[in-house]
Amino acid sequence: MSSSDLIEIVIASGKGGVGKSTIAASLAIILRNSGYRVVAVDADAEAPNLHLVLGINRWDRILEHREGRIGFVRDDKCIYCGYCYDSCAFGAIEEKSGRYVINPWICEGCFTCSFVCPVKAISFKYNVLAGYIKIAYSTPYKFPLVSSEIKPGRPNSGKLVTEAKNLGRTISSGKGVIIVDAAAGIGCQVIASLAGSHLALLVAEPTPASFSDLKRIHKLTKHFGIPSTLVVNKYDLNEKFVSEIIEYARKENIELLGLLPYDDSVPKSMTMGKPVIYAYPNSDITKGIMEIANRLLTIVRNWKSWRLEHIPEKIEPFIPVIIKPRSWVR
Amino acid sequence: MKRIIQISITGGKGGTGKSFVATNLAILLAKKHDLLLADLDLEAPNDHVLLGIDKLHNKEDIKVFLPFIDYKKCTLCGICAKICDTGAIFMPPKNPPIVFPRLCSGCKACYYACPYGAIIEGGHVIAHSYLTIIRKFNVSFKLLTGILRPGEEHVPPGLAIIKRKARDLAKEILLIDTGAGTGSSISIALQYSDLVIAVTEPTPLGLHDLESILKIVNGLGYRTWVIINRYGLGPIDNHLKIMKMYGVEKYFKIPYSMDAVKSYIQGIPIVAYNPDSIVSKSFYDVYQVLEDEIL
Repeated sequence: MSSSDLIEIVIASGKGGVGKSTIAASLAIILRNSGYRVVAVDADAEAPNLHLVLGINRWDRILEHREGRIGFVRDDKCIYCGYCYDSCAFGAIEEKSGRYVINPWICEGCFTCSFVCPVKAISFKYNVLAGYIKIAYSTPYKFPLVSSEIKPGRPNSGKLVTEAKNLGRTISSGKGVIIVDAAAGIGCQVIASLAGSHLALLVAEPTPASFSDLKRIHKLTKHFGIPSTLVVNKYDLNEKFVSEIIEYARKENIELLGLLPYDDSVPKSMTMGKPVIYAYPNSDITKGIMEIANRLLTIVRNWKSWRLEHIPEKIEPFIPVIIKPRSWVR
Repeated sequence: MKRIIQISITGGKGGTGKSFVATNLAILLAKKHDLLLADLDLEAPNDHVLLGIDKLHNKEDIKVFLPFIDYKKCTLCGICAKICDTGAIFMPPKNPPIVFPRLCSGCKACYYACPYGAIIEGGHVIAHSYLTIIRKFNVSFKLLTGILRPGEEHVPPGLAIIKRKARDLAKEILLIDTGAGTGSSISIALQYSDLVIAVTEPTPLGLHDLESILKIVNGLGYRTWVIINRYGLGPIDNHLKIMKMYGVEKYFKIPYSMDAVKSYIQGIPIVAYNPDSIVSKSFYDVYQVLEDEIL
């Protein structure tokens, strides 16, 4: 299987609530209807919503994802020295009326507290349920949906996203298009979404906050050397600002796929549990999405040559800022 | 011990209006109180943008632990690589361990686990914090902003450091704005809250993520209020059911209005930009109840 048989498209934005899931759902449907094999992956494990936009509420398989540990302090052994409290990098240990208690909504089970405890008063619960991967093989849209869902309060949602993506790749058998609906932010979930992907579709709205986050997410796609495209959503909220975003995109070699208007049909279609392109086929937003999908189809059809033209000229590698200890010699 | 009141704004879903609520409440609260607003959305911090602040001040590095191997002491036992949960320590056959800084969460387990004292404590800057005095809109308050370095993935330990800083700096009221999401980093931001205000929107998406966030707040045992932002966009019956289930004390509605969008674009919070708007009036209501019942 050559890598050009499969194109993984990540929908990301930095800022939340700008329309990632709405756009991801519509594009997956249109690509499928245009004859491509499609797998949709909801990579927003902490707030998975793609199934709601698609109106999917039945899963064919639900896989439990168990990993990690949660610590607890044994009061019968604890001597209240407070070493654990001081050592926890996550601040998970709380002092409650003279006792030390590990907050299970924060603890990652890293073992640090159990190492510093002089009386072995910390035990662990192992193999903790960290989340689920849910799969709908047969959907009304004739493509499968793989959704990641963290158990609220659990760490490392990025690992769950990586698993969901890998499952999506397996289901695709290395052919067609995978649409990855990424989380808000630029942290572990989004990095897991971008890793190994081919194309980023960035979504922004013409507000200063969204523009600020667009620049941050684009920095990440450049670290990964992934070519980027852009959709400006709700463009009519602030048309003056749109030109500023387009100018940025031009300078950064981000291909503009199109502008979408603000449209009440979107929240209305969500309430109906129907993708907006089916709920309101004649709406302005549906027309806009169709145009964007056509541009995306052109890119997918001419993938090899498009990629060569748009791949960042030089990858801007991520360089960690490291503080070497004085006593350390290589 | 000083007594501060911590009010945390969260919501699960992105874009429901967390920062919008936080910045507007900050302005109202700062009229009578000493306030620190902490933007703990390290991945996409926007409170300063919504306040129209171009430049943040008092930059500080947020450093977390990073292991360095003392090759003279290392016996190649491999315990550090085994204990590391994030795969940041790789043990090549017959060679000393290699550390990948980006994968390291800074938990320090390897440091304590090494039986030979062969791990030396180094550091790794994962984020920056800024402390800016805001003197605008006829009020003055402090804004603490945490900003993740793009490319870093382990938010929790850096977030815990900035959170501690916020608790240390706050004198009377600490208003926290969390990021989107429902994972452990949100719990860190919410920890020690006297009140959590979850901001949601009247869509099935807002509802779904509201339930996830209420599970956390309920588990943490904090008092909870809900703000339904963009009220009028869709039905809220199911929101109300969920809120009852999780013991939400009160809820407020902020009507959907173009006034809010206009102020948002201007970088001026609506209570300052358009005090007569129905949106501003809803914020006064929330503020008044806060004043009566929490402060």
